[in-house]
Amino acid sequence: MLKRAIIFALIILPAINTRAQDTSRDDANEKVAEVKEAINGINETIAEMKTRLDALSKIKLSGYIQAQLTSSSGAGGFAGSMISGPTAVGNFQGGALAKDVSTRFSVRRGRLKVTYGADITEYVLQIDVTQSGVGIKDAYATIKDPWLRTFSLTAGVFDRPFGFEIMYSSGRREMPERTRMYPTLFPGERELGIKIEANPTEMMGFLSLFNLKLGVFNGTGPNANEVDNMKDVIGRFGASLPFVEQNIAIDAGVSIYAGGIKSPTKYIYKKINEIDSTQSNKGAFFGRNYIGFDAQIYADLLPIGGSSLRFEAITGQQPGTKDDNRSPSSLLSTDMYLRNFLGYYFALIQNVGLQHQFVARYDQFYPNKDANSKHIGAPESKMGLGDLAYTTIGIGWVYYYDANVKFVLYYDMITNDKVSPLTTNATYKPYKDDIKDDIFTFRVQYRF
Amino acid sequence: MKKILVAMLTAVMAFGFFQPKETITIKGSDTMVILTQRWAEIYMQKNPGIVIQVTGGGSGTGISALINGTTDICIASRSMKPSERERLKQRYNTLGVEIKTAIDGLSIYVNESNPIQELSLDQIKNIFTGKITNWKEIGGANQRIILYGRENNSGTYIYFRDNVLNGEDYAATMQSLPGTASVVNAVAKDKIGIGYGGAAYGKGIREIKVKRDANSIAYEPTEENVKSKNYPISRYLYMYVKSRPTGAIKGFIDWILSAEGQEIVSKVGYYPVR
Repeated sequence: MLKRAIIFALIILPAINTRAQDTSRDDANEKVAEVKEAINGINETIAEMKTRLDALSKIKLSGYIQAQLTSSSGAGGFAGSMISGPTAVGNFQGGALAKDVSTRFSVRRGRLKVTYGADITEYVLQIDVTQSGVGIKDAYATIKDPWLRTFSLTAGVFDRPFGFEIMYSSGRREMPERTRMYPTLFPGERELGIKIEANPTEMMGFLSLFNLKLGVFNGTGPNANEVDNMKDVIGRFGASLPFVEQNIAIDAGVSIYAGGIKSPTKYIYKKINEIDSTQSNKGAFFGRNYIGFDAQIYADLLPIGGSSLRFEAITGQQPGTKDDNRSPSSLLSTDMYLRNFLGYYFALIQNVGLQHQFVARYDQFYPNKDANSKHIGAPESKMGLGDLAYTTIGIGWVYYYDANVKFVLYYDMITNDKVSPLTTNATYKPYKDDIKDDIFTFRVQYRF
Repeated sequence: MKKILVAMLTAVMAFGFFQPKETITIKGSDTMVILTQRWAEIYMQKNPGIVIQVTGGGSGTGISALINGTTDICIASRSMKPSERERLKQRYNTLGVEIKTAIDGLSIYVNESNPIQELSLDQIKNIFTGKITNWKEIGGANQRIILYGRENNSGTYIYFRDNVLNGEDYAATMQSLPGTASVVNAVAKDKIGIGYGGAAYGKGIREIKVKRDANSIAYEPTEENVKSKNYPISRYLYMYVKSRPTGAIKGFIDWILSAEGQEIVSKVGYYPVR
């Protein structure tokens, strides 16, 4: 009996054990299936999130705010001066000062830039928010050639492709403002139009040292509608030569501007007192033509840090009016003054350690190089304040607190040439002497 | 009087104890992290007054940190791009100082069980750009090829794309992994996988021989072959500083280029430049 029981047990127990093992294997398989399902679910979620992130990563936000205090050696709007003309106090240091005001706080620039970049296309919109309101700075689209990735076409409102200072961002620039010739010749820096650009890639070897930008524009600036059928051509051919072993770089470029402004009358004033009164002048276009040369040398020569020396000169013919030599954004309504001008500057930027920079700049602008400012207001002279030459010497210190914040201390010593001592014109009289318009700027910038 | 003397002595000792150590921060290439950590460990032992902090993140991340001023030295497994030099130029008025610290033979990894022994540069390019998708097309089994590579902030990713793929884009199917060690692990587990990375990481998988073209001899990524340029995928491993190195940074770099520093290069698995 016992023997039978043992045999029965020996037969039945493995079966029970096998059933138990099967049950446990089934459970394990079920759990593995559950885990696999859960992993698949997570993978799907990750894939979906990745798709969304990829789309979001094409959008880039950047910007900067420049809050500043400026203090001038003289108040704005002094007797006889132009309140907002090219000779107004502070006009080239953040905007003309109001009457009797010499010190002010302001938000010089409050930029927010949105860039959406796909493979070969780019969308850019940049606004500027200050105490004066909201304005559009950039609004353009760019498409690159998909084969060589060298050529691109840009259309909209964007920087004029001329010289160095325009394309050197205000957020990066060490000095608070551009030199006098730039806001005079290119108010707002930007322009409405279309341009092609060639930037050969590294794969193209020697050619990658060169670049070309060439565009066609309205010629009325970034914020005005076109007022005539004349289109202006602007371009720059540049070279960038890096000497990596020596840690020296030389960048240089030649720029051209070929455009025109319509004369509202038959009178065209030139030089000191020349007047061209040919009948056909009325309604005719007169050249707004510039040629520019710029060079920047970067060198790591001193033990205190890198240095750069920048030079730029622009010369050409600028149409304007008697007291205003700035490029007009609308049709002229008074007689045209056609001036041959010359502007240039030298700038030195010296890094002192990694967080400090010493900066200095010498800038001269002769709106009428065929004449001397002393002829302004002189008997028989037809010249106006639009002919007044200026020399500006600026020195400053920049402190980079971190990757986002920088502080700028800068002092501009501005000297105007003197007008005729014989002038009896109330507007010109203050310019018999050097106007008190030196300006100190303390700026805090946050950039991201 | 005695109390004053004790106080002064304590103050002097405290000053001695708390005299701040000079800190050098290094950031960048994941390929170079282990090598740089070894350098740092030994250099700090020899120079107790200096603290060296090393972090990875990829060559691109290191170069950005150099430009943003958040690291003293950038380590990179590729040379700086012109656009990066441009950014450095705008902020510091320099192009950056480049120091070649070691040579690396970039290896192509396959699983140990994979019968493929050698590939030409053209075949590698076609595999990683997605033109060759099955092992049988290059003499292997009839199985699809699984690609493993690095993320786009990696210098290895950029170097491989620019020099092996001749600037063409990677196949969209390539799985991007955060470090060369991850690529090695993935290929070690995947019989039909292929990946690329630094020679120092090539343990546990097989590094295949590479030939310049179909008619050339294939070479292994050995020191001799890499240095003689017979092995066609080799690169320098760089350090970058913003301007001419001075003080503690100069001391550290000089030591790296010394016989002692270069000996560590060999020990870690790369090849010395001197």
